[in-house]
Amino acid sequence: MAEEKLGNPAVVGLGGFGLTTLVLQFHNVGWMPSVGPVVWLGLIFGGLAQMIAGLQEMKTGNNFGYCAFTGFGAFWIALAFLFLGNHFEVFQASTTDVGWFLIAWTLFTAILWVGSLRIHGAMAFTFTTLLIGFILLDLAHFGLPELTVVAGYELMICAGAAWYMMARIILNEIYGRDLLPAGKPWI
Amino acid sequence: MRNGLRALATAVALTLAAPAAAEEPSATVDEVIAKVLEAAKFLHDKGQAGFSDFNNSARWVWKDSYVFVFSCRDDRMIAHPLRPDLVGRPILQMEDEKGTMLFQDLCAAGEGAGGGWVEYWWPRPGEAKASRKISYTQSTQVSFQPDVRVAAGIYDDSMTVEQLDARAERAVMPQKDAP
Repeated sequence: MAEEKLGNPAVVGLGGFGLTTLVLQFHNVGWMPSVGPVVWLGLIFGGLAQMIAGLQEMKTGNNFGYCAFTGFGAFWIALAFLFLGNHFEVFQASTTDVGWFLIAWTLFTAILWVGSLRIHGAMAFTFTTLLIGFILLDLAHFGLPELTVVAGYELMICAGAAWYMMARIILNEIYGRDLLPAGKPWI
Repeated sequence: MRNGLRALATAVALTLAAPAAAEEPSATVDEVIAKVLEAAKFLHDKGQAGFSDFNNSARWVWKDSYVFVFSCRDDRMIAHPLRPDLVGRPILQMEDEKGTMLFQDLCAAGEGAGGGWVEYWWPRPGEAKASRKISYTQSTQVSFQPDVRVAAGIYDDSMTVEQLDARAERAVMPQKDAP
């Protein structure tokens, strides 16, 4: 049987992660008044699509991608359900409850961040901005709500960095050369 | 759309009830403070899903008063039970008939931990002519929202902002040890 060329699930995972992260930040900085688009994108692109991409990473033997994409896919689905639960009055989560939810995800991100430093520069940069963004959102939920805006701009950079990696995989393949470099690992 | 219609129905009902309004008792200072604190806690607990409640729930309208929700940072009325036309609109440049930039004053007064009172001119529900209104405002914390304020007021000709600030401080004080 001829060897079949397989796609890289990371392009979908990074696409969904970046886009949903970006749209939440449009809301956090005050440009987009409603959080509605975040709920639906969080269920489908950031959630379902990224999670499927994560599960596909298993077959590539990439544990980092397997855990990160499946984990953050689940993050977006859970966040969307948090909003829906509050609307429909099932298992309501207060601002403080959401704060604790974010703290748990900050710790999860911190473990992946340590791994990202050894992968390449683009991955290290993306996870560093993601970790800082989570910490800013934690603080915003525990007494410093104005940091939501700072987190908003900071996480836009993170989303852009995720899309850079997506573009890198797609464009380098199409152009047949190292159009967008990954950069050296930080450690 | 449905929320808008409901709010319109509430506004129409209040307008039709206007002749009876003269006999209807006015909201008291304690009621206003209690409702504002209740609204702040409600939004802290329910998050953004709670905003629409202020556009269409009878819980936030009583006697001649009501709770409205706005964001100073976003310069936007988030919810208003009697004025659906103001919801989503900029607020900071709004002037009352005496030229007071009322929302700039409300935003400044709500900065402190215990909130504060602001005096301006605004029509009573169902009336066209503005009356002296003194509103109590507080900020509240809502997930993924940098700035959310709640306010409600009384229509009164004699009380001063200083007197009312002292009353609000006494009402808010016992809650200070809450996280």
